[in-house]
Amino acid sequence: MNAPLAIVGVGETPPARRSESDLRGLVLEAVSAALDDAGLAPHDVDGLISESGIMPQTVPHQWLAAQLGVDLGFHATTSLGGAGTVSAPLLAGAALAAGLAHVVVCYFGVDWGSQAGAYAFHDVYPAKRAFEKPYGFTGQPTYFALWAQRYRHLYGLAEDDLALIALAQRQNARRNGRAQAREPMTLEDYLASRPIADPLRAADCCLLSDGAGAYVMTSTERAGDCAKAPVQVLGTGFASPGISGDDVFTQLPEPLEIPGAAAAAKQAFQRAGIGPEDVDFAEIYDCFTISALLQIEDLGFCAKGEAAAFIRDRGITSDGGLPVNTHGGLLSYSYCVGIEHVVEAVRQLRGEAGAQVSEAKIGLVGALASPDYGVMVLGN
Amino acid sequence: MAEEIPRAPEFAGFFAGLGRRKLAFPCCRGCGRFHWYPLKHCPHCQGGDIAWQEVAGPGDLYSWTVVRYAFDPGFAQRPPYIVALVAFAEAPGVRLVSNLIEVEDQELQIGLALEPVFPGDDQVLFRPANNRVENPS
Repeated sequence: MNAPLAIVGVGETPPARRSESDLRGLVLEAVSAALDDAGLAPHDVDGLISESGIMPQTVPHQWLAAQLGVDLGFHATTSLGGAGTVSAPLLAGAALAAGLAHVVVCYFGVDWGSQAGAYAFHDVYPAKRAFEKPYGFTGQPTYFALWAQRYRHLYGLAEDDLALIALAQRQNARRNGRAQAREPMTLEDYLASRPIADPLRAADCCLLSDGAGAYVMTSTERAGDCAKAPVQVLGTGFASPGISGDDVFTQLPEPLEIPGAAAAAKQAFQRAGIGPEDVDFAEIYDCFTISALLQIEDLGFCAKGEAAAFIRDRGITSDGGLPVNTHGGLLSYSYCVGIEHVVEAVRQLRGEAGAQVSEAKIGLVGALASPDYGVMVLGN
Repeated sequence: MAEEIPRAPEFAGFFAGLGRRKLAFPCCRGCGRFHWYPLKHCPHCQGGDIAWQEVAGPGDLYSWTVVRYAFDPGFAQRPPYIVALVAFAEAPGVRLVSNLIEVEDQELQIGLALEPVFPGDDQVLFRPANNRVENPS
């Protein structure tokens, strides 16, 4: 049984390719900003959650607790990367219900803008190292390029279909004003961007950033005492289908779905008592244009194979039919692996966003760390 | 010298196959199904009796990408190169990552018939099956 939960504070470091701070400094800045935003002090915190792949080795919970000068009643890790960051309310709600903690902070940070690391991350998978790396199948763009090529074969994909996503998100980023990539992007700019792994160009790939983000969760009851109007966690979903991280990019069954996305979305929608048609905006893990396109389908916004038509017909800019990645996303805002999506969704629901969606009542955040997937549905 | 790549014990049958200039994939003797990448037990039936079944016929191109950027310093001199995902009618459920040779980018299409080429005892590459040079005799 999970406790009704609200997000009462968000914080992040300014989006940047390189920061003067080191990773622990960035995380501390983001966590402090989130607590300030909530009107809470470090000593109010008694729970910490992070994803399990990167934070435990770089910014451990115990280090952060020591730095904040707090004793923890609860700390836990879940899943990897963005999927863990986005599904953290499942753990926080359980901890609150069990009385293990009262104020729980979820945090994430990365220094892949200044330090190598992003491309070597998949070396943790033994079969990928043994069977793929010797053939130069390494680096996340190559994996998603294979999916894009296969998608093109199965459903059709015009050269400018992926550009729709890159251009719309750049437009959102320019309206946001804080984003890492703010220069205008035309279709000609997109087509002229450096080829990386066909059919993906540099403009189809996420940024690399130094940065961190954090969000503070507490019970809906206690949330009323915080500095700003709380954002309700209406429903959270998590799925980890039985396919390993080794296999997920090459052995997926068709029809080419982002693993776990549909299942996690179904859970989150059921718990929230709503459907995809009720969502006013979505912050979707856009490591690549093709991955955002697939998730628009798999999260239930349109049928498989129809995302490009959906984007053309309805629009995904902040004034579109389904605003997607209203801050610019991983493609144009920053690459902090999904925590910036949570921060942006909360800002949208508070009416504080740079590219504000009018009358934003319900927002979805979805993030992959394949094969895991996390979904959070938030409301104001 | 390339980096030493650790190999799990259950990977050995594939590399033993390459040593014989053959492609071999794990197939459960209990349920008759293939799986890939190699696991310790059959993921379909949990059987522990895994055979390495040789595949003789051609593969076909499931998907591909032309890689134009070196993500790993060890590949700095390689781009552009073609990464292929190869499927086998004889081994349903297996898709093998490899590189394509002797092919132009514009010939690439999903379903293209491919034959293996073994440049050493530790590697397999693929080329279009119709590129085979028949020795007149």
